[in-house]
Amino acid sequence: MTRALLLLPLLASPALAEDPAIPRFADETASAGLTHSFTGEWEYMVGGGVAAFDCSGDAKPELVLAGGTAPASLWRNESPTGGVLKFTGEESGGGPSGLAYTGVAGLWPLDVDSDGITDLAMLRVGENLLLRGLGDCRFERANEAWGFDGGDAWSSAFAATWEAGATLPTLAIGNYIDRAQDAFPWGSCTDNWLHRPDGPRYTAPLPLTPSFCALSMLFTDWNREGRPALRIANDREYYKGGQEQMWHLSPAAPPRLYTEAEGWQRLRIWGMGIASHDLNFDGYPEYFLTSMADNKLQVLKDPAARPLLPRYADVAFARGAVAQRPYTGGEVKPSTAWHTQFEDVNNDGRADLFIAKGNVSAMPDFAMADPNNLLLQRADGTFVEVGDKAGVASMHTARGGAVVDLNADGWLDLVVVNRNAPSEIWRNQGTEAPGHWIAINARQPAPNLHAVNGWVEVRANGVTQRREITVGGGHASGQLAPQHFGLGTATQAEARVIWPDGSASDWQNLAADAVWTVEK
Amino acid sequence: MFRRLLASLALGLSLLAALPAQATPQAADPAHVVTTWYRLVLELVRHTPTYSPPVASRAFAYLGVTAWEVTASADPAHRRSLAGQLTDFPAPPPRQPGPHDEAVVLNAALTAATRHFFGNTGPTGQRAMAAMAGKLDTTTAAGLDPETIARSRAYGAAVAAHVIAWAATDGGEVVENMGFPLSYTLTPGPAHWVPTSAIVQQQMPLLPDWARNRPFAMPAANACPLPPPPAYSEAPGSAFRAEAEEVYTTAKSLTDEQKLIARFWSDDPMLSPTPPGHWISILIEIADRDALPVERRTDALARLGVALADAFIGCWQAKFEHDLVRPVTYINRVIDKAWAPMLITPPFPEYPSGHSTQSGAAAEVLSTIFGEDFAFDDATHEDDGLPIRHFPSFRAAAAEAAISRLYGGIHFRAAIDRGLEQGLCIGQHAARLETLQ
Repeated sequence: MTRALLLLPLLASPALAEDPAIPRFADETASAGLTHSFTGEWEYMVGGGVAAFDCSGDAKPELVLAGGTAPASLWRNESPTGGVLKFTGEESGGGPSGLAYTGVAGLWPLDVDSDGITDLAMLRVGENLLLRGLGDCRFERANEAWGFDGGDAWSSAFAATWEAGATLPTLAIGNYIDRAQDAFPWGSCTDNWLHRPDGPRYTAPLPLTPSFCALSMLFTDWNREGRPALRIANDREYYKGGQEQMWHLSPAAPPRLYTEAEGWQRLRIWGMGIASHDLNFDGYPEYFLTSMADNKLQVLKDPAARPLLPRYADVAFARGAVAQRPYTGGEVKPSTAWHTQFEDVNNDGRADLFIAKGNVSAMPDFAMADPNNLLLQRADGTFVEVGDKAGVASMHTARGGAVVDLNADGWLDLVVVNRNAPSEIWRNQGTEAPGHWIAINARQPAPNLHAVNGWVEVRANGVTQRREITVGGGHASGQLAPQHFGLGTATQAEARVIWPDGSASDWQNLAADAVWTVEK
Repeated sequence: MFRRLLASLALGLSLLAALPAQATPQAADPAHVVTTWYRLVLELVRHTPTYSPPVASRAFAYLGVTAWEVTASADPAHRRSLAGQLTDFPAPPPRQPGPHDEAVVLNAALTAATRHFFGNTGPTGQRAMAAMAGKLDTTTAAGLDPETIARSRAYGAAVAAHVIAWAATDGGEVVENMGFPLSYTLTPGPAHWVPTSAIVQQQMPLLPDWARNRPFAMPAANACPLPPPPAYSEAPGSAFRAEAEEVYTTAKSLTDEQKLIARFWSDDPMLSPTPPGHWISILIEIADRDALPVERRTDALARLGVALADAFIGCWQAKFEHDLVRPVTYINRVIDKAWAPMLITPPFPEYPSGHSTQSGAAAEVLSTIFGEDFAFDDATHEDDGLPIRHFPSFRAAAAEAAISRLYGGIHFRAAIDRGLEQGLCIGQHAARLETLQ
């Protein structure tokens, strides 16, 4: 009689379909001139974000990096199109941005006042800030002008959406541990806040009670009803009686938690980051939740059910997306995962998955040499790890990050913020395979110029790819950039935008390898 | 627990803050020192990923023995050391001549023991341990002469070092990969355990060699053997299938009270103080409620800790001997492929139920110490939003803990009933230890 021998490596890497083309990432941290670290001890064990957005008008995103105990800093993108990455910091002549605050943990770009100039939400250990963009990468404090109460907390998560009829976005801010309980923080999670506008100013924030030490938030239209809900990833290390959460958000009504009676299923993880994408082309977003050890890839259990219930199956193990332990470097202890983002890094028409990894801070039960993950999606929906082969398997202690096209060549590059170590930047040099792409800017009249919580759809190669335009998710990091789609061999595609009010633009035939703007 | 921990610490600090500048200081209460450290330890168990229930039980045993040994030596005429009673435990070092302060001694001993047995907790736990040690160092030493402080601290640290050295040889000192082996050979056949989770680590069973650890009070891991479970069968009407159908039908018609019971005793690792921590929590609640003197606290903590640790050694021996399939596997295969239990199925074989064995052992020890009809309230999960539950006796609580695993859909009836019996047998070894005389 035979005996079944279980071996972890066999379980962790299903090899079912033809492996996708691996992009080559060149580490250009040194040559790019990016010299920055997110620093700090206990109050900076979470956070460490980067905002990526164009504030200079050249269609190439600048970077704003959280500094923790060091000041935040803006880095102007001077990379030639398709060329090596090049950034200039303020100290080198970039000019005073008005962003050099200390205590910064997270950064998200958005156009709060819909004036066409990108603003910034800056989450801090201390008072949070809304910073109004003035143009040419300069910003000014706008808390008073917009009636925004920045509070005084250990803020750790952010999301924004425009509720129907609102001039300003509704802002959700996640808060972490009570800083006064530094010796005994367990059970001391402080209230999250919902900042809703009343005309051109914000009202006093609503506490989102109960709150369970949020580390990521995302407004997402999970059931396509046209009104996003607020998903929150919570850190079970510190809450008592907590779980992952999703809130109903109805105009002029208090937020209300989804309940078990509505189908919500209790899940308790070290929730640290959220990524969303319609991976299986069924019209609904799937969610990837980062944690410690196993991560979660959630797929609706019954997308045909009516009413649709928020019941998700975790398919991370089956799809090879668990990313549970280091795949290189020799450590067998489990990993610690933070920022996560679905993007098509090899332009084959299937979203891939980046995960920033790094020990919290000398956690002996978890890997210290913990490489970032780059998981490429195969045609059958499974994932294969290529972080080492692609060249992004850094062993620094990562936190935030951004997968974004920094040099306007259509291949998505990578920036990662490390804790108490230099931030890193990689240029995607592409693959050997055909990798056409298209990128779509959605623009509608004010408010909500960038159509946040609308959808961009692209048809090519017999499938319809969809992306929800969101502000939030990831870990401490946000991007305001065109929605990127890989097209593989297709040299053109059809595209349309489903606007936040539910109306849709006409399908348009567009040439590949270009950034297009669709206007309402 | 968080609120009670803060209250406990605040009481300790108030002893210092309340002192008038010229007043004669009041000695710190050693019983308070014990409770304060144990409340922190319950948090550390919850927040140190390696601390699965067996690993937690081991730490509780060694902490309890440490606390008892320094307490016993303060009055050797009436308190007996566990040296020579516990397996391979040699006599601890003696006290040096001169006065000792028992609060200082206990604080030094528990500081060293906690730092050792929770050395792999994370940065927050490390901060908490350092803060606790610093604050209790201050409160316990207030008003004492430096020589007494130094002598007392040295003695407490020496006993802790002695226990730590003894612990190093028991086979459970090093736990890699949170207790999950990197490879494991499954026993073939439908009767045997297979992974029930999609979590990568849990494709291997937890701590398959835990029964090789040196037991504390019982003579061997198999000192309390069990009859085999009902013979595996998928045939309608068979005893085994009847047990599976009981789990299935019960789970599909749970009352709110049964759901509450299942959740109350769920005691999930990393989300609670674990099952052994649940019983430690019960004990320290009683100790505070009844203002037990320090020697009664440490006696009970030592014997309860030993019983819990032996229970997991004995239970794990039986689990891997019988290597029985879990209800979810059987029911999904034979009865209903879509069925899911209310609780998360633990990643190791089914028979007997660990919670039943260790609860049976705990009830035996505590009933011996406090009496058969000792009523108490259990507030272990109050901070997690679960209500306080009242029990007329320790055995009633153990019985509820055991049946909770059937409500939760993770154990068959035989594992529950036989587990309680095994626990009673194992607990008798700890209950017979001679301590207070």
